[in-house]
Amino acid sequence: MADQTLPTNAWPANAAPSDLISPGRKRLGRALMAIATLGLLAVIAVQILYKTEVDTIGFETWRPVVYAYVLWGVALGIGQVLTRGEDGQRALFLLPALLFTIAMVIFPTLFGFYIALTDWNLSSFSGRKFNGLNNFWQMLADPYYRNALFNMVLYVLAVLVEYVIAFGLALLLNAQIRARKFFRVVFLLPLMLSPVAVSWMIGKSLMEYRFGPAAALARQLGWENPAFFSNPITARISIMVLDAWTFIPFMMIMLLAGLQAMSREVLEAARVDGANAWQTFWQVIFPLMLPVSVTAIILRIIFKLKLADIIITVTSGGPGGATDSVSSFIYREYRDRSNVGYGTMLAMAYLIIIIVFVTWLLKFANRFVRNVN
Amino acid sequence: MKVSLYNQLVRAGATRRDVMKGAASMAAVAAASGAGLGALTRPAAAADDLRAQILQIPGVGKGQPTDADFQQVGELCLGATKANVKEGEFAGVELTFMGLNNQNLHNVLFRGFLKAWETYTGAKINWIDLAQADYNPRLQQAIATNTIDFDIVEMGAPFEGDVCGKGLTSEMPDWVRQQIDMDDLVAYLKPPVGTWDGKQYRVTVDGDAHNFNYRTDVFADADLAKAWKDGGGGGEWGVPKTWQQVQAVTKFLKGKQVNGQDVFGYLDAPKPWGGFGFYFLGSRASAYAKHPDDKAWLFDPDTMKPRINNPAWVRAIQDVIDALPSEPQDQINADPNQTCFSQFLGGTGSMLVWWGDAGSNVKTNDSSVVGDVTGFSILPGSDDVYNSKTGQWEKLASGPNHAPNCAYIGWGVYVMARVDSDEKKKKAAWSAAAHLGGKDLSLWCAAYPSGFQPYRNSHFNIPEWVAAGYDEAFISSYLKSEADSYNHPNAAIEPRIPGIFQYYSAAEDILANTFAGKMKAQEGADAIAAAWEKLTDQIGRENQIKLYKASLGM
Repeated sequence: MADQTLPTNAWPANAAPSDLISPGRKRLGRALMAIATLGLLAVIAVQILYKTEVDTIGFETWRPVVYAYVLWGVALGIGQVLTRGEDGQRALFLLPALLFTIAMVIFPTLFGFYIALTDWNLSSFSGRKFNGLNNFWQMLADPYYRNALFNMVLYVLAVLVEYVIAFGLALLLNAQIRARKFFRVVFLLPLMLSPVAVSWMIGKSLMEYRFGPAAALARQLGWENPAFFSNPITARISIMVLDAWTFIPFMMIMLLAGLQAMSREVLEAARVDGANAWQTFWQVIFPLMLPVSVTAIILRIIFKLKLADIIITVTSGGPGGATDSVSSFIYREYRDRSNVGYGTMLAMAYLIIIIVFVTWLLKFANRFVRNVN
Repeated sequence: MKVSLYNQLVRAGATRRDVMKGAASMAAVAAASGAGLGALTRPAAAADDLRAQILQIPGVGKGQPTDADFQQVGELCLGATKANVKEGEFAGVELTFMGLNNQNLHNVLFRGFLKAWETYTGAKINWIDLAQADYNPRLQQAIATNTIDFDIVEMGAPFEGDVCGKGLTSEMPDWVRQQIDMDDLVAYLKPPVGTWDGKQYRVTVDGDAHNFNYRTDVFADADLAKAWKDGGGGGEWGVPKTWQQVQAVTKFLKGKQVNGQDVFGYLDAPKPWGGFGFYFLGSRASAYAKHPDDKAWLFDPDTMKPRINNPAWVRAIQDVIDALPSEPQDQINADPNQTCFSQFLGGTGSMLVWWGDAGSNVKTNDSSVVGDVTGFSILPGSDDVYNSKTGQWEKLASGPNHAPNCAYIGWGVYVMARVDSDEKKKKAAWSAAAHLGGKDLSLWCAAYPSGFQPYRNSHFNIPEWVAAGYDEAFISSYLKSEADSYNHPNAAIEPRIPGIFQYYSAAEDILANTFAGKMKAQEGADAIAAAWEKLTDQIGRENQIKLYKASLGM
């Protein structure tokens, strides 16, 4: 049959290889893209001049710029097909996602960096003013931000404890115990709950000083004044416990998946070699589980770095900032005080800290896993 | 015929026969319900009957009102609207209303109140509900980003600088002024409150002042009186009249019991509450800081230099630090919501400063156990008062200095300027606002949990409250504390300046650290002053000075 004789990389009937595209079509494509680009730049320029009160012609809102960007995206797509043929068609699969990412991630991030360099209080009569690195210097001298960063170090360290508990639970659920499936579902329930619901149900009800069952139990056990959130150390631990209760199931389920994927033969070989339970765990299971463990810990740390909801609901960062996280502090600075410029600087600085920290953590974890294995 | 309408007519004096004879059909009676009442009784008597009737919904001591009650009250109070608006006049109009939903009050009630209004006028209302702590940021963002997406807003007078000062609100038409009977407002809520540059913008639905709520059983307890005397307490055992006495009583009550229950003294609210928590320090400070010869007490009106770190405010901060060890163990983690609705209403603590709705809640809130043992007064005074001009503490010849804190100056309903371009929509928005600020409806709000307290001269008619089921001694004490606060010559008035809640929020954070022992009272106060100075510069000092002076009537 004729089509069986075609080479496998033959062009579809409606597409043309780039070298077969006529110069006129290429010119048309390039012209279309150039006109669209000029149009987009012109709309942006007009709008910037209007908003900075240099010119009187412009639009009331920035919405026309968005429309121009969408039109530019469409023209870009058509231009790609006209100038590059099938390569252009392939680009169409990627282009919408790329343009969407530029519009929804890259531009807001860059704009965020610009906002971080401005003095912008929502109540200010003079509006937004560029103030260079003033917010940055203010941040360096801000004891509340430093305190929140210190608390974050403690919260992140608590992940190691969560990991140990999660590993224990995973081992338990991996063993041949009764009602194993039931317990798997039950242990996952906290993860399904909203942290705000957890805050109210546990932090503000179960742990309530006067009538909370947890407080009553603590009294029975001999703690005279079981106020879980009134002194810095107990408040910090209480927040860690609340957060751990919610997220340990997340680590547990990842570790359980790793345990179930582990080869039975290796474990049986260890048993044949005379290893006891502890030796089997420490010298076989734990090293084999390291890649999964590292993934679970890193993902958990990333979640932990965003901790805010429980703190805002239960303690508002108190007592005396003891439970404040960077996110809950930014929330107050930005929302309660409408200090947009400074709040954005705090958020951007935290973003950079997170990126650097997580990158280092990944490299360290890779090296650690390689050395152990 | 609706049962409520039938009941209304019967209570207004008509017999069943009169009702049936006077109405050609059920629809005709329904359409003419307002006028029908007038035909059957004299107008003044009808108004009195209406007030008496709504106060029986559901009746004090008969459980907390429900949505059905709100709707019924809203329907019964529709007469004033009907006089200004034809039936179906606003058909096709959609309005968006932004307000609070604290404690299931505010907007939750407004929905019910406006149900009959929507049915009658044909307008439809969409609702934006906000928690108290979210209110300020939501409003500020809408203003700053020019994304006002609401036509009517429930707002406190402190925000008038941010909103009315920027020309974002619609000026009140004369017919609204007449419908809501503005002359009935208590004096301190009359202009300049609710106005900006001489224009009236606000339909007042609340009057705010912190008063002093105390437990009558604790201060009448013979065993405590004996222990007080045996312990060398100054004077007779009784309700504290000054903050110095509040401090002494709070320390004395630590570890004491009444009727087998632990009893505590004053309840502080140290936990930040979106800026609103600062008012509670203000109430502790006003007697120290508000000198009768000086209108200002928060800032120096000529320079906006903060007074928060003067000896008066520092003493108030120190009082909190000193009292906290004698308060419930977890008090450091209590916000005002908790001190009132969880602690005081639940029987913990014997002294509380709060807005007036604490008073109506102790009697009508289902969770209250102190309805029969609560008394009221204006805020405690101080044996001496700080004079900022001389830098000296003074003892007044007239006795202790009292300065009720008119915190927040009450909620109001404002119509946004964006409706001005559409006359029909504008009238609809103002009609809805006027319905909520109506004279009779407001009485019901003052008497039941609503988030609002008495604010009209007509609210202080004690027989009306007694007829509703309030105990006369209780309600007399409550209303007196409110009236005395509003009318006090040395009342501390809220500055209606832009960004005021940013000042409060910044202070709350620093105070939380100070109360937790991370810094001394003076250090904390100095840190607040520095933060406030920076904020004033950021917002614009010259404008702030001008607006601050205007808000103090200077």
